[in-house]
Order: sequence, then C-alpha cells, then structure tokens
Amino acid sequence: MPPRRDADFMDVDSDSDVSLPEDVRGKGKGKAKAGRKKDKGKGKAKDTQPYTWEASYTRSWETVQEDEAGSLQSAVEDWLARGRRKRLLNPATPIRRTIIRHLMLLLDLSSAMLDRDMRPTRFDLTLQYAREFVAEWFDQNPLGQIGVVGMRAGVGERVGEMSGNPQEVLGYLKERHKLEPTGDPSLQNAIEMARSSMSHLPTHSSREIVIIYGSLTTCDPGNIHETLETCMKDRIRISVVALAAEMKVCREMCDKTGGHFAVAMNEGHFKDVLFELVPPPAQHASAPRIISNSAGTGTGSTPADLIMMGFPTRLPDASPPSLCVCHSDLRSDGFLCPRCLAKVCDVPTDCDICGLMIVSSPHLARSYHHLFPVKQYEAVMSVEADAALACHACARPFPTAISATVTDGLSPWARYQCPECKQDYCSDCDIFVHDVIHCCPGCGK
Amino acid sequence: MSSSRAARPTSVPDTKPNSYKPHPLIPFLQARSQTVLTRLYQKPSACLSIFRLLAPLERQLVMNLLWLEAPINLSTMGSWVVPECKKEYTEAVANLGRLHIVPNSPVKLGLNSTFKTSFRQALTGGGTSGSFGIPAEPDEKRPSISIETLDSYALERWETILHYMVSSGSATKPSSGALFLLQRSGLMASYHGSQSQITSTGFQFLLHSPHDQLWDLLLQYLDMSDDRQMDLVDSLHFFFMLSTMELGKEYSTENLTTTQKTLLEDLRDYGLVWQRRPSSKRFSPTRLATTLTSSSPPLPTTTGVTSGPQEGFVVLETNYRLYAYTDNPLQTAVLNLFVSLKYRFPNLVVGSVTRDSVRKALLNGITADQIISYLTTHAHPQMRKNNPLIPVTVQDQIRLWELEKNRLKSRDGFLYNGFQAQGDYELVLTYAKQLDVVLWENAKKKAFFASLEGHQNIKGFIERRGQGGK
Amino acid sequence: MADSRGSHLSVVLDLSPSQWHLSAENPPTNPFPLSLSSFLSQLLTFLNAHIASKHENSLAVFGAFPRKSILLYASSNTPTSDDTMDANWFPPFRQVDFTVVRRITEELDSLEGASEDEAPTALVGALTKALCYVNRIMQPPAQAIAKPSDKVDLSTLPEPHILILSVSPDLATSYIPIMNAIFSAQKLKVMIDVCQIYGEDSVFLQQAAHLTGGSYILLERRDALLQYLIMCFLSPQSIRQTLSVPTQDRIDFRAACFCHKNIVDIGFICSVCLSIFCQPVPVCSTCRTKFPMKTLQRLNASRPASANVSNRPSPSPAQSRPAVTSTNGDTPRSHGLSELPSTSSINAHTRTASNGTKSS
Repeated sequence: MPPRRDADFMDVDSDSDVSLPEDVRGKGKGKAKAGRKKDKGKGKAKDTQPYTWEASYTRSWETVQEDEAGSLQSAVEDWLARGRRKRLLNPATPIRRTIIRHLMLLLDLSSAMLDRDMRPTRFDLTLQYAREFVAEWFDQNPLGQIGVVGMRAGVGERVGEMSGNPQEVLGYLKERHKLEPTGDPSLQNAIEMARSSMSHLPTHSSREIVIIYGSLTTCDPGNIHETLETCMKDRIRISVVALAAEMKVCREMCDKTGGHFAVAMNEGHFKDVLFELVPPPAQHASAPRIISNSAGTGTGSTPADLIMMGFPTRLPDASPPSLCVCHSDLRSDGFLCPRCLAKVCDVPTDCDICGLMIVSSPHLARSYHHLFPVKQYEAVMSVEADAALACHACARPFPTAISATVTDGLSPWARYQCPECKQDYCSDCDIFVHDVIHCCPGCGK
Repeated sequence: MSSSRAARPTSVPDTKPNSYKPHPLIPFLQARSQTVLTRLYQKPSACLSIFRLLAPLERQLVMNLLWLEAPINLSTMGSWVVPECKKEYTEAVANLGRLHIVPNSPVKLGLNSTFKTSFRQALTGGGTSGSFGIPAEPDEKRPSISIETLDSYALERWETILHYMVSSGSATKPSSGALFLLQRSGLMASYHGSQSQITSTGFQFLLHSPHDQLWDLLLQYLDMSDDRQMDLVDSLHFFFMLSTMELGKEYSTENLTTTQKTLLEDLRDYGLVWQRRPSSKRFSPTRLATTLTSSSPPLPTTTGVTSGPQEGFVVLETNYRLYAYTDNPLQTAVLNLFVSLKYRFPNLVVGSVTRDSVRKALLNGITADQIISYLTTHAHPQMRKNNPLIPVTVQDQIRLWELEKNRLKSRDGFLYNGFQAQGDYELVLTYAKQLDVVLWENAKKKAFFASLEGHQNIKGFIERRGQGGK
Repeated sequence: MADSRGSHLSVVLDLSPSQWHLSAENPPTNPFPLSLSSFLSQLLTFLNAHIASKHENSLAVFGAFPRKSILLYASSNTPTSDDTMDANWFPPFRQVDFTVVRRITEELDSLEGASEDEAPTALVGALTKALCYVNRIMQPPAQAIAKPSDKVDLSTLPEPHILILSVSPDLATSYIPIMNAIFSAQKLKVMIDVCQIYGEDSVFLQQAAHLTGGSYILLERRDALLQYLIMCFLSPQSIRQTLSVPTQDRIDFRAACFCHKNIVDIGFICSVCLSIFCQPVPVCSTCRTKFPMKTLQRLNASRPASANVSNRPSPSPAQSRPAVTSTNGDTPRSHGLSELPSTSSINAHTRTASNGTKSS
C-alpha cells in the first residue's frame, strides 16, 4: 500500500464513494408496476444495476481543491465560509414553531424493504436511521410523543404506543426480529390506525405522520382518498420519505396535508431528508393554518392556547419510599406535583390527581434558543491598534498576520465581533456560540 | 504511570478502574523499611511526586485525609464508598499502608505525620526545604538553553544507549557508567570477555515504552546504590526534585549532597540532565526528567531524529505486510527484531511479519504479547480507525506461532533402561508410579523416564532390590 | 486505562464584593463567617491539589465580577510573568497562586469607587466562557482539519469538569442563558459541580448540577470549605463511581416567567413558543399569539387557589437581594498566600462534613 493521500481520509462519513446512477434505477423502478412485485428486487438488480463494485466511483477526494502550496487550508476556509453564510440566512427574529408535537412513525415492513440497493438492506438502514431520528427528535422536541406503526402483510401493525419516553420508543425499534419484512404494505390501513391513535389529542398540539416507504404499491381495502380527506379534516400532517420512486398518491398526501415529500437518492441523502423532519415545523399562530385553509378544510379556529403547567420537585433516590399515583408502585424517587403534591414517576405527564400538566422546566427551556437567537457576529475587516489579543471567550490568541486568501464572509483577521458587546471572538467560538450555547459570552444573553 | 504502555480505549476494553497497574516504583518503595520511607517523606517534592504515582483512588483518599488534624474512624471514610467498590477501597487503603503513608490501624485512618506536614507544605508553598531545586542566578554572558536543544540532547543520549543495545555493541558506545548499568541490570551480558550481547530481557526492554524503559533503568540504578555507597534516600530525593523542576530553567548545584553530585554525572550520561560543562555549577533538567511522574507516553523524544512522525508510524495490513514511516535507525532496528525487512526508502521501511522473523524474536525471549503491544502503541493514526486496531489474523497468528514454540516441554529427570528382565522393569515402574514421578514409559524397550525428584528413591529402591536379590 | 487521561477543571468564581462582604460578617447573623481572603487561600490550596493530582491535569479559572467576566488563569496560556523562582515552591502552584490573586486584586481595585448600587455579577458570561474554553481544548485546533493525518486521539483529550462557586442568589434574567449553558454542557459531556457558598439555594444552579451529573452542595459549615471542596469536587468522573459524592436531595424544577422574571412553580405556557407567564395573559409577548377568551376565563377562575401560592420558599430576587451598604471599606484585597486554611476548625467539623454532606 503506497502512502495514501491525505485528502483520501477526509470522507469518513456515511456518504459512500460508490454512487449508483440514479436515473437508471429510477426508471427501472418506475416500470415495476404491481404485476411485477414478486422477485422485483432481484430481477431489477440483474438488468439495470448489477453489482455495487461495478458502479462508477465518485472520486470524492477530487472535489477538494488544493491550493498551489498543496495545502487544503483554502478548501477548509471555503467550507467554513459557506457555513457562516448559511447561518446568516437564518432569520434573527424569533420563529414560531409548534413545539408540542405528536408523531406517528409509519415504517414500511413489506418485502420491498429487503432490497439491497441501500446497504446493507433498505430495512436495516431504515431501522438504523429511524433510531437516530427518534433520538434526535426527542432531543429537539422534548415535549413531543412518538408512536410506531409497521406496514406488512397488507395490514397496519401497531409496533409501539404513543410515548414521550425516547428509551421506550427506541425499544420498539430495537427488536429487529419482530419487524422482519414480509408481504405487501397497506398505506390506508396504517394511516387509519395512526389516525385513530391520535384522534383524542388536544387541539393545540400538532399531529404528524412520517412514512418511510420502500414499496411502489399499496394494497388497500378501500379508497385511500377518503382516508386522505379525513386526515385533512383532522389536520394531520403527512410526510413521506420514499426509498424507491415517487408515487402519485404519496405526493398527493403530502401536498394536501402540508407535509414534506422526498425520494431518497442514496444512503446519505436518505438520512438528510429524514432529518429535515426533526426541527419543529415553523408556523405563524396569527395566520393560522395556511395549509388547512388552502386545502379547504380549515376550521378557522387558532390552534394556539394558553396551557397551565406545573414545575415539579424531584425527590431524591434516598427519600422514604411511597406509592406513586400513576402505577401505585412503592418507590423512593419521583416528582411532586406542585399543586396537589401527588407523586408521579416520570415527567412530562399529566398529574393523575389534579390533571395539571407537569413538566420539568428544562424540557421547556430546550426550545428557547429558537425564541431568542444570538445576534450574528460581524466579521472584522480591519483591526485597530488596541484590539484584544485573544478571543474573548476561549482566550485563544488571534493570529497576528492577515490570512492570504480572503473568502467572502470571513474575517481576514479571524475575528468576529458581537454587535452588542463589541468583543472579538475566534471563528471556532463564533460557531460554538451560535450553534450550541446560544448565549454570547460577552453580553451574557 | 503504568498506563503509558499501550492500552488505548480503542484497542483495550478494560477501562475499569480496577484494571489499574501500579507504577513500577511503588512496589520498590513498598519493599523499603519504614525509616527509609519516613526520611523520604521529609521533602515536599518527594511527597508530591509519590502522590502523583499513586492510583487515582489512592490519591483521592490521601487528599481526603490531608487536612484532617486527627485520624478518623475507618467506618466514616468507608461510608463514602459505593458498596460495589468496597474491594477497590480496601485494596487502596492496604496499598497506602504498605507505603507507610497511612499507618496500619484497624480502626482509625490518618496520614503519616511526616508525609502530612511535607505534603501540606508542597501544596501551600513555604518552608525552607528547598526541595523543588534552587534556581541558578541568571547568567548574562550565556543565555539559558532553549528547550529544543534540551530535547535533542536528551534524545541523542537516550537513543545512543538503546541503539547500542540493539546493535549488540557495534554502534557508538555510550559512557562507561551507562554500559555498566546495562550489564548490571542484565539487559546485556558479555560472555567470556567478548563483546557484550543483548539478552532476552534486553529484547523485551526494547519493546517497552520509553517511560517504562527509563524507570526500569532508574530502578536498577537505585538497586545498585547500596553497592556504590550512595544514599538511597538522597538519590530518590534527587529524582523527585528533577521531576518537579521546570523545563528550560537552570538550577544550581550548590545544595546537593555528594551522593547527588555523583548522581548528577550519571544522569547526564543518560540524558536526563544537561550541563554546559562537567564542572559547571548549574544544570538543566531535560524532558526525560521533568516527565518522570507523568503518565503520558508522548515524550517528545520518542520521535525520529529528524522530523519523524509524532507518535505512531507503523501500518500493519492483514496480509502481514508492515509499513513503517520512519527514518530512525533505532526504530528500524527494533522492528528488525521481529519483522523481516524488505525495502528501505528515505522515510519508509517495508517488511513483513513472517513465521521465521517472529520465531527469531520468540527465541530471543520476546513474547507475542510484547510484539502486539509494541505494534499497538506505535500504530499509525490511520490504523487507529480500525477496530480492532491490529488485524485479527496477524494478531492470532503471532500468538499461534508462540504456542507452536511451546509444543515441547522440557523437564529434568532420569531415563531408566537396560533392565535385565521384564519383571524387574515392572517392579521398578510400579514403585515409581506409586511415587507419581513417571513422565514417560515404554514397555517394549523396557525403559521409562522419571522426574528429578524421584531419582533418589528409585535409585535407592533398585539398590535395595539388587542387594536383596543377591 | 482509565487513568491515562488528564482531567481539566474550569472553576467559575462568583466575586460579587457585596455578597462577600455579607459573607464575612460576624457571628450573630452569620454563624460561620468566611471572608474573601480566607476563601481564596482555601481555594488556591484546592486548585493546587487539582494540579498536583496528575501531571496532565489542566486548569482554568474564570471570575465573575459585577457586569463583567474575566479569565483569571488558564494553564494552556504561556506564562507571562517572569517571577523569580522559589526553591520551596512547585513552579506551577506558584504560578496559579500569583496570577489568580493578582488578577482578582486588580479587578477589585478597579471596581472601587464604582457606583453604590452594585450590578449583578456576570456569572452567565463566566460560565459561557468556561464552556467555550472547554470546547477549545476538547477540539483539535483548526489546522488539524486541514491536515487530517494529524492524530486526533480521543484518549489524550482531558476529561473536562466545571466547578461553580457561587455566593449570589439566582438572577431571574439569567434563566434562559443558564439553561442554554446547561444544554451545551450536556452536549460537550461536561459535568458541572456547584457549591453555593453563601446564601439561599440556587434553583438554577441546582438544575445545572443535576442535569449534567455533577453534585450540588449548599455550604453550611463555611469554615470547612476546603474539606468540602476536596472531598466532593476534586475527583474526576471516573473516581466518582467508587467514592460517592453527595447528590442533591430535592431538586427544584422551577422556572422563571418571561413577564416579571418571577420564579414560579405553576406557570402558564404559550402552546406555540412555550413562553412561561406567571399569570394568564391575553396575548403572548414573545410570539404575539392571541389566546382564546374562553381559556383565559377558565384559567383565571382556577388561578387564585393554586397559582402563586407556593409551598416552597421562593427566593424572589427582589427580596433576597441584600442592601449594599459599604462596598469599599471591607473589600478584601491583600491576600496572605502562605496562610494555611484553618485546619483545626476543619478537624472539629470533619464529622459534620462527611456525615452532613452525605445524603445518599
């Protein structure tokens, strides 16, 4: 093995070196109509896309440009600058988002999922990404709940009840052997099942269905368009990530309910489109439900509401055990409802005694950075004599020389200034402050 | 500490605290008498250095006890321990007891008063012990030496010693003191007045990390100190003082005892200390000395002479091919111990791990584990992405080669043959079997082999039989 | 092995002159007075103990002064001072001690003569800086991205942990920033320890310690500070599995409302943006959502019985903010470095320290 080129090691991500010619595969799929569903995966694989090692290589290292000196510095800076500009596009004003979300995850467990066009198989990849999706989703929507429904053998199958506990939901997705794909999927059955389990939810919460769909057919007992109508009436937002090709009915469902439709082109893209569904959908409470209005079924009432919530006290593990009101179990840890002092096991929940919604304040606080974003720092273009020598946040000394290549949006001095407190920060801290902390170290807000 | 050897989380799963291996110095100290240790604890710097060599739990215990005026009940401290970890806790207390840092007592727990006073002094400063080294007056004429010079000096000295070992005497000779130490410690031996040859311990030594090598040698040195009429405590004080000194600063030799002055000369040979002239009144510790109590493997001196790679340089493939990005003759020589080298390029050595090359190493007394751990520690950063780090095939094969070597077991004993009659043979054999000393028997040849222990009895039995028969 | 990583400690000091003045007051009101100077001498010993524990250990000290926060000491920054060396002092200790004391003295001096009503300390700023610093040391420098061949070996990165020593009461305005800091600490896997040295329990810092797996202690015996610090906060995460440290008994999960910055235990939440209000409001002040009249009436009806009647002592910032009388007179400035912590008193209260703080 010769000494390898450094750039070769840049791509460690899921993006594979091998990319499948999408158009070819897409066509093959498109033709595969219901009649060909048996053995479709293998047959198609033979004539259009033989083996992955025969696929063309994307020479991913060649997309990285070296400068004259053979350094990758400029490429890296370019990449940084792109990130910065992208962030600048983010609105600095607070966005309204539905934060109390309810989501049903519909997984296609039909035999089409055994197709190997995504490695290792569509099914394995879907399970893996679904788990990552759930973890990330709960991280950003701590007050939300997720339920899982599987589609196989022509019926909808309840994999897991609606739950606000990420561990529980991950538990549903962990048992691979229980989810083994077989038979044909039924969109209508599964959607009906999801809809019925969300029908009791209060009006101010969002109801969403996310479908990961690998099949090109659906096997329904009735008219799926009627189901679609009821979903629109119930204001359920349906989003679909298709693994094979676009299906008209899927596209229509998403369009009519205000959801998002995407076809995953490869493994990396699959993850990207799935994760686009993680952040809470933006919406203006004052202009209620553009979606439902356009669909002609809007009820006109705003979904916004003022909710009374209690912040509990957590009892230590060592406190004397007592019965909890939710399971009547004898245990020592738990949370006390601030209104009636009943003990519940876990938050967020509704108090079983007085009905107060109990949340711990960190759950609410997790989404506050959406409300109060940090002002964007400005790139410093010229440095005065008495400027600070080191980053105000991490005390890393600033470079004393101007960087030779100046990209748009980057400071030649690698300094970024907060418009409020007028302190200088290095580029790492700039990213860290805006992406993670959401709080300027200089002004403290 | 001991962790300097291999054991990165990527390759070794045992990150549990109980897998802690004590620093080589600790058993050495534990073997000393209480008076020696109490004298040792008089210097704050010694207390600080020993403290750093302790296991994490032991350190925390010492800290907890440090600011208490009177000993506390064993049970009070015990209540802080998580029940599952009682064993580690008891072990830690026992260890400290053997070091006489915590006097053995069944009920009370408290620090040795000398240790307590000195260690408090170390933490708060003050006192007049001067144990952290007396800085030399700044010298206008000569600017103080740069850290790079110190590093390259230390490296040059240290690698001279190692290289001499690898080359079995053909390379540049290090100083006589160092040579004597190598011989004395059994790393090299000269047979019949010939060139000294590296021994199997010496081979093993080469595969250790520099930090372990350094301590190995220093412990040997301390072992010798009695023969050379050097005061052990004085020597230890000097080591610990060096370990707390600041790199790149100059210190004065003024307050050193005679022992320590001798020591200074020797350490200069090993590259731990730099002096402008042998007679100079000032000295600077090198990085080898200041990192004595550190557990970090990355001594900057482990790199090649010229801009070598910072840490790992070895790439090993599943086909037993090995690529080493190095131009360092020492590293090449060490690899040559168990790799058959094929090509050499200005910055690359290519070879392969073969049965013969590994057998050669095994014959030299190097174990398979040592080879694997050497490859693990020196693996190229690119290799670190692999899990497991060393290809399983190669790893297993090296171990198999080792097992292969162990097919024969040698036992000392005697072969009994030439029996006149079958009856005689059987009689003696039965007797030997009763003693349970028979290792091999062959009825056809009327011979059997018995271990050494049984010989006297069997011999006696045969003689008695012979007499009785007459 | 678990021991091969060094640990990094970032200490955030709350240096509000008025609070320290109160803390140093004499017994009748204050059973265990602790002045800033004796606090510092005990703290420095603690810092030295941290550095002593391992060669690789690193340290950063951040000070929160009224209205500004400063990095007092960082072991990664090259020493600027050319102090003469001392044969009786381990050089790194000396450097920490001198730098920290010098910087604090300078800052407090510059505060002198400032206006009488003291601004709240910039604890948030200091905490945020501590996180930025941790982020910096946990990340390979920017150049490493350009040269991927450079080793980025996780095992050589230190184990970070932050210790907040606070004397001020909660500041309701800092609720959101502190929460944000907590979440970023969780992301960075940094443990936050909190020691409230003076005053009431801090609701926000309690949550910080709880959510990051650290420990929170409300110091009762201020004369045994050093013993508390060493026993509870010195050990890195790995040791805490063996030698337990006190955990909190009750954690308050209360939040501050957006409208009056009151700390509430029952709040009214906008369903769109989750803003918290202490009383029903017709329009959300954050996202301008109008709430239905029906809800307002219903909530108003149910409110008097429950909403603001709290069964917990709520330290509303207004009432627990102490009146500042003389900041200048007793502001401790000089600090005897060789002064040992009062060991005898520590001894006398060891039992309290070990039993009292052990709650689990």
